[in-house]
Amino acid sequence: MIAALLSLAIPMLMGLLLLLHRPAAAPWLVVLGSLASLLAAIAAILSVTTEGAATMQLGGWETPLAIRFRLSPLSALLLVFTALIHFLVALYAARTRGRHPGMGDYWPLSCLLHASLAALWLSADLFNLYVTLELLGLVAVALVSLAGRKSWRPSLDYLLLSLAGSLLYLLGVALLYGRYGVLDVALLAEMTSDDRVTRLSIVSMTLGLMLKGALWPLHLWLPAAHASAPTPVSALLSGVVVKGPLFILWLLWVEVSSAEFHRGAGLGMALAGVLALLCGGWQSLRAPLLKVVVAYSTVAQLGYALLALGLLLLWDMPRLYMALWLFVLAHGLAKVSMFLAAGEMQETCGSRRVSAMKGATQTMPLAMFAFAVAGGSLIGLPPSGGFLAKWELLQPVVQQPDRWPWLVAILAGTLMSAAYVFRVVVVSFDRASPRHPEYRSDTWAQWLTLLPALLVWGMALISTPLILWLAEAAP
Amino acid sequence: MFDWYALLPLAIVLTSLIPGLLIFTLREDQHQLRTRLNLLGVTLKLALVGLMVIGVNRGQSFRFELPFLPDAPLVLHADALSLLFVGLSSLLWLATTIYAIGYLEGSPLRSRFFGYFSLCVSATVGVALAGNLVTFLLFYELLTLATFPLVVHRGTRESLRAGWIYLAYTISGGILVLMGVVVVHGLAGNPEFVPGGYLGPLVEDQAATLRLGFFLLVAGLGVKAALVPLHGWLPRAMVAPAPVSALLHAVAVVKAGAFGIVRIMYDVYGEHAVQELDLARPLLWLAAFTIIYGSLKALQQQGLKKRLAYSTVSQVSYITLGAALVGPLAMVGGLVHLVHQGLMKVTLFYCAGNFAETLGVHDVREMDGIGRRMPLTMAAFTIGALGMIGVPPTAGFISKWYLGIGALEVGADWVLLVLVISGLLNAAYFLPLIYRGWFGHPPARWPQEQHWRDANGRYERFETHWMLLFPTLLTALATLLVGVVAGGELSPLAWSRLIVSREFDL
Repeated sequence: MIAALLSLAIPMLMGLLLLLHRPAAAPWLVVLGSLASLLAAIAAILSVTTEGAATMQLGGWETPLAIRFRLSPLSALLLVFTALIHFLVALYAARTRGRHPGMGDYWPLSCLLHASLAALWLSADLFNLYVTLELLGLVAVALVSLAGRKSWRPSLDYLLLSLAGSLLYLLGVALLYGRYGVLDVALLAEMTSDDRVTRLSIVSMTLGLMLKGALWPLHLWLPAAHASAPTPVSALLSGVVVKGPLFILWLLWVEVSSAEFHRGAGLGMALAGVLALLCGGWQSLRAPLLKVVVAYSTVAQLGYALLALGLLLLWDMPRLYMALWLFVLAHGLAKVSMFLAAGEMQETCGSRRVSAMKGATQTMPLAMFAFAVAGGSLIGLPPSGGFLAKWELLQPVVQQPDRWPWLVAILAGTLMSAAYVFRVVVVSFDRASPRHPEYRSDTWAQWLTLLPALLVWGMALISTPLILWLAEAAP
Repeated sequence: MFDWYALLPLAIVLTSLIPGLLIFTLREDQHQLRTRLNLLGVTLKLALVGLMVIGVNRGQSFRFELPFLPDAPLVLHADALSLLFVGLSSLLWLATTIYAIGYLEGSPLRSRFFGYFSLCVSATVGVALAGNLVTFLLFYELLTLATFPLVVHRGTRESLRAGWIYLAYTISGGILVLMGVVVVHGLAGNPEFVPGGYLGPLVEDQAATLRLGFFLLVAGLGVKAALVPLHGWLPRAMVAPAPVSALLHAVAVVKAGAFGIVRIMYDVYGEHAVQELDLARPLLWLAAFTIIYGSLKALQQQGLKKRLAYSTVSQVSYITLGAALVGPLAMVGGLVHLVHQGLMKVTLFYCAGNFAETLGVHDVREMDGIGRRMPLTMAAFTIGALGMIGVPPTAGFISKWYLGIGALEVGADWVLLVLVISGLLNAAYFLPLIYRGWFGHPPARWPQEQHWRDANGRYERFETHWMLLFPTLLTALATLLVGVVAGGELSPLAWSRLIVSREFDL
């Protein structure tokens, strides 16, 4: 537990410190800080494996009143994941810091983003989750607006929709509090019954979370915001931030809502997931700008998570929990790589259009390779992390003939993702008229874009222990 | 004692993977180092394959395992069937590497080309050595990815278009294979391939799921094996450079599909389950139809490489036909054709590449009198074409003979008719070429004649660059040889009989 708190405290203190005073070495401080937080998170995962889940009451109050932090195996894993992604993105951002003026505010804000995510994974009551969610949204909006005037409009939309989502969520929290008088997730899990107030509150919270998590069909703010943000911010937003609301959604449905409500809601979520895969994929396939392609791919890929959650509820199959979180891990790493590569290529090419990527395999081989390798994981090619997740998702689907229609949906989604990934890859092999980069490409930055993609394929090396560990850690 | 047998299959994959990765890092102008790396990898691999052939012939087993999924480890395992394919692809890799060095001399992006080329061969060898379905799937998908950059290597609009179509077909096929693997895995877990299959006991209870799995797997593999109507990518991919065509048609890609079908039918489902569920009959019809259809389409093509491509569509289905007849002798014919078709087709593609590179001849009608200008290449072409028709004593005759008597053995007499018609069609589209080449009247000027000079400025001594000529002659000789000494102990025929005797418990 101490280690987990440390993993939360380091970025928080670092962020506050950098808000007050901005030394020239801020980028490297953030890199070191996220590395330290990563090490602390790894210590937390080790302690949770040996000693089991732990809880802690903040401020010394007793259970119904206190704010409780809970370190479960899953939250420990997510702590490691968040710190790892922040570390990888910080490395890239530090390397490319000289390119854009006005990115100075990135450093404290990214630390605060890290801290609010860590707090979110650890929180164990619904109001506390609301606070972290709100903080996360505000910091994310501030980060998007760093890109300058062009991004103000998308960030304003993001802010307003995010606030609307928060209000919906808060409404649900208030209803639940009025009905049961507690907000602790574990206590609520024992008390909830299947009545109208509970259902209404859960629906309201679900809508709010879907809005904040850009889950289809409430994703409309995401492509503009993620595509217009500065490249490292896009990577963070798509890689980890949208997973925060997803975590609360999962907690809410698996722990709080009653089993009778699961079937209908599960079917709805699974269908929304399939539509997300298809519509998001289609939009991604048609988008003319490179970063919009990647942003819509996030909308599509979140469909897998929604599908896994929906099927988990529909068939009451806890095993799908592994598919859900493996998707989150694999997508996070792959998407970071993809956004960084896309940003790197568009900076080097001097154009944001997909059609400007002609000849990129010659002029920027590493960044293009990163894009393709990350795309391979999104498609789910073995042995990448995306394949592991898809493998876990497919297992229960093929078991009974009446579930085979879902197979068709997953097939179509996979084809769609292959189409939008290879759309960019094929253009990059065009040798007819290679666009010459406006300045020399930065080999180190290209390597840094490749690193997360290599890690997601490297998940194959630890796949057996990882899956067994996740199976054991299932709630 | 440390068991070096276990590492041999891995070493065979790595002998092309590591040189491939190293080649990516080389600069364009380091061509000597690149050539050395390539040749070192090829030689090592051939030596290791030789060791393995001796071992497997004696009944030794080579097995390497790595944990991957909790109940599905990655397994590389050498049995007689995998060695048939490994042997073929390693030998042809040697020939094609030499050919490609000559073919691409002086052209840009060679490091990228040879890097992916080696990856491609590694993936093929992995497909051949895969010991269970998950491992097979992994290398099968890797093969798709590694081939794509080669198909679009020229980077022209036409080749990008071909690349798109190639990807659309093979990625869809790969996803079907994935689904099929998951279906079979859900039923029976992930045991290793075993002669006689492991799904036999489930036939009673799980017939519907087994049928679905078979359909998904064969539909997915059928894309690479170019079964009609899944063959559309193959003629399009003709725009790739000639060594890539050789790779697609003879060494790696279509063979991986056909090999996969054989694996699924005999080592996963097993002869018994295939018979019980009546899975082979639709496949047999499809293969027969593909054979005739491919030949008819080939007859209509005027481009030389296009004609060869449709001929591949037809010829690869002989392998599927042999497997789908489900009888020992037909199986021998199918398996031996895996090797024979490879040798013959690679020869024909080398020849087509030589004609195009040396004289600029791309069209069938431009071949008049080409035998006088390039007699050695034309001789090789003649051997390959006669083999395709099935004239004794070439390799093609042996395959057709065994397919024919195999069909009679299982009572599918109509297949004989298919073989005869296909043979006549083959003759109809190859004999005019041979006639034109030897007896036609050469034009006053060839479309685009090229003369190579060596480092000292002297003209090439042979009719074309020696690196283009020697592999061609080598494989043409092999085509003759495997036919003439088919009765020998280590001929492809003898090896196929060994495989079949293990599969069918003879």
